[in-house]
Amino acid sequence: MASVTDLSHHDVEAHHEHHLPTGWRRFLYSTNHKDIGTLYLVFAICAGLIGTALSIIIRAELLEPGMHVFPLISAIMSGDGSVDAAKNMYNVFFSSHAIIMIFFMVMPAMMGGFGNWMVPLLIGAPDMAFPRLNNLSFWLLVASFILLMCSLFAEGSPGMRGFGGGWVLYPPMSSTVGTPGPAADFVILSMHLAGASSIIGSINFIATIFNMRAPGMTMFRMPLFPWSVLVTAFLLLLALPVLAGALTMLLTDRNFHTTFFEPAGGGDPILFQHLFWFFAHPEVYILIIPGFGMVSQVVATFSKKPIFGYVGMVYAMLAIGVLGFAVWAHHMFTTGMSLNAQRYFVFATMVIAVPTGVKVFSWLATMWGGSISLRPPMLWAIGFVFVFTVGGVTGVVLANAAIDRYLHDTYYVVAHFHYVMSLGAVFSIFAGFYYWFPKMTGYLYDERLAKWHFWVSFVGINLAFFPQHFLGFQGMPRRVVDYTEAYAFWNMVSSIGAFIGGAGTLIFLYLLYDAFKAKRLAGDNPWGPGATTLEWQLPSPPPFHTWETPPHIFGDEDAHAPAIAGQGSPA
Amino acid sequence: MTASGDRDGTTVSAGGRARRNNRLLGLGGATLAVTMIGLTYAAAPFYSAFCRATGYEGTPQQVKANTDAEGHRILRVGFDANVAPGLDWSFEPEVESIRLRTGQTATVYFRVRNLLDTPAVARAAFNVTPEVSGGYFDKISCFCFTEQHLGPHESAEWPVVFFLNPDLEADPSMARVDSITLSYTLFAPPSERPAPARSADRAGPAG
Repeated sequence: MASVTDLSHHDVEAHHEHHLPTGWRRFLYSTNHKDIGTLYLVFAICAGLIGTALSIIIRAELLEPGMHVFPLISAIMSGDGSVDAAKNMYNVFFSSHAIIMIFFMVMPAMMGGFGNWMVPLLIGAPDMAFPRLNNLSFWLLVASFILLMCSLFAEGSPGMRGFGGGWVLYPPMSSTVGTPGPAADFVILSMHLAGASSIIGSINFIATIFNMRAPGMTMFRMPLFPWSVLVTAFLLLLALPVLAGALTMLLTDRNFHTTFFEPAGGGDPILFQHLFWFFAHPEVYILIIPGFGMVSQVVATFSKKPIFGYVGMVYAMLAIGVLGFAVWAHHMFTTGMSLNAQRYFVFATMVIAVPTGVKVFSWLATMWGGSISLRPPMLWAIGFVFVFTVGGVTGVVLANAAIDRYLHDTYYVVAHFHYVMSLGAVFSIFAGFYYWFPKMTGYLYDERLAKWHFWVSFVGINLAFFPQHFLGFQGMPRRVVDYTEAYAFWNMVSSIGAFIGGAGTLIFLYLLYDAFKAKRLAGDNPWGPGATTLEWQLPSPPPFHTWETPPHIFGDEDAHAPAIAGQGSPA
Repeated sequence: MTASGDRDGTTVSAGGRARRNNRLLGLGGATLAVTMIGLTYAAAPFYSAFCRATGYEGTPQQVKANTDAEGHRILRVGFDANVAPGLDWSFEPEVESIRLRTGQTATVYFRVRNLLDTPAVARAAFNVTPEVSGGYFDKISCFCFTEQHLGPHESAEWPVVFFLNPDLEADPSMARVDSITLSYTLFAPPSERPAPARSADRAGPAG
């Protein structure tokens, strides 16, 4: 590991004569990857708060049998407090919760936020390849979110407001049969814009990573986060157009008498499920793979060791990405597939456990024998490995078509995907956030508060979702507003867990306030010798323009290990 | 060759090369995305051809004639007839079910009547359940292959001619299937249907 970088000081000092935009122009017209990353992160935090609020209200309704909360909410929001309106409002809430969390929280935070901020810094590029497209992809996302908000107030089912067909948007619930009103059209158009935004963003990442790496930063010397962003960008580029196409078919079915999904004209609603899951299974990897990259870098930093099995980690991500396109119908075991088709999808799904296992064991092996410091990013990263493994194991259970017959659309599935998403993806986002916050803002946060945030969230969310496995085994269906007395106990526990998790979010907000108020300066590298990647060689916060002269990366270009910066003078 | 981004046009500068490569990668990515949208649309006819070819999703097979191979299993074949909202017709099978030996050809009639004062057009969507039996349900002729026209208050008897392919006896996933249901739903063409129904009525048994 004799590789070093040559950091010329003029690089960060130069170009101070550039005109720096200020005020609203700086962000509205921004083409700077750091400012756009900041915009994405702020957007993701706001959307995340809305999504969390929706979920807490849902858990409040499910606290005990009977309907208590939604008749009131429905009365306030639509002036109709009847039971039917309340049920509809509940459906609208869980649908919006899913769409917001997936498209407006996790994706913007990981790809838009950390991807934009850190990929150019980590590979020594001055900015993204297409800075103006970058601006476009952010503001398209804002427009998309506004359309989604519009859908809440438009008519959906007859006499009801909002779209309540779930994030899966299956026809006939989303066709004119289930939702004749324009609420579904708003959701479809919102997804179109979010998709366009992500496709543009992915093209940008692919061009940046392939073409704008600093000299000496070969593909196999890149840190794992840019690798994870690259894999994710390809998944987005291949998967999102399929969603766009399927939604366009749905839109023309709804408005222009086409019959792609309408049996009346020879169409087939199951085709939508195939197309949707061909998009949505890669989509769930899109939500987690950038997290893999962040967690890998955090674990390596705080174990003060290079990541174990770097090349294996890269190939594991590639394998997960490729396999992600070959397993979609495991979401559809109950649609009457032939036995052989089920056999294939069971097998293919279980194969994914292999590269995933490679990753989990490599994280453990990185920590093994390392000099571990349990700073907040590391806590979140270790928490991620734990909850992601739990979610992965329940995923293998659900992969069995025979068991899935029983557990399909029960709370077991809800528990499974919240363990990998709500805990896994979100924990990795917080690991990345606490890791890079000092770099992005230049301020230290209160580590005591950050640890409180972790432990309160960890206890709360586990308490919320672990009992849902039991509810699933008991047979409680998902997406129900009310349930029998038999499910009361674990629902109560789950709701209390959700409230504790919500309290964790309040700690996070206070932590942000405190960090910006106290203004404790972070310095270039608050994490010490373990932080070896390029971004820690820059001041905190980094100047407006960075790496205009590319960093010179020494060492063996054919080495298959991440380039290590800051190990003494140029060789 | 000069790079498009190169001002003096004599040498390819590093910046010009980077810009050109960016453009190539950008165009390549955009092409990939557009291709995927195209493939998505191609999936619709492909899926319907796939279902027809394999019987996937309970799609009955369309054949010219019976193979005359007599099997030995006897299965119950049930019939189900529905009319979708937006079409005022009555529609029912002449028998609820028959018992049929594999390989034997059966003809079953469906009684249909237009209850409207105007002529109307309808098309039947069809499938069989359990879905795995689709590949063994061979239709020789069916009213559902084409659009059907009825005059005001006209009634008709529509035949369907089919047989159960004896190959099903060799399929282990058919071993425990003793009963197959052939289901039809009559739809008005989408362009002739009234605006989306605001009532809660759904497709249900007619007649």
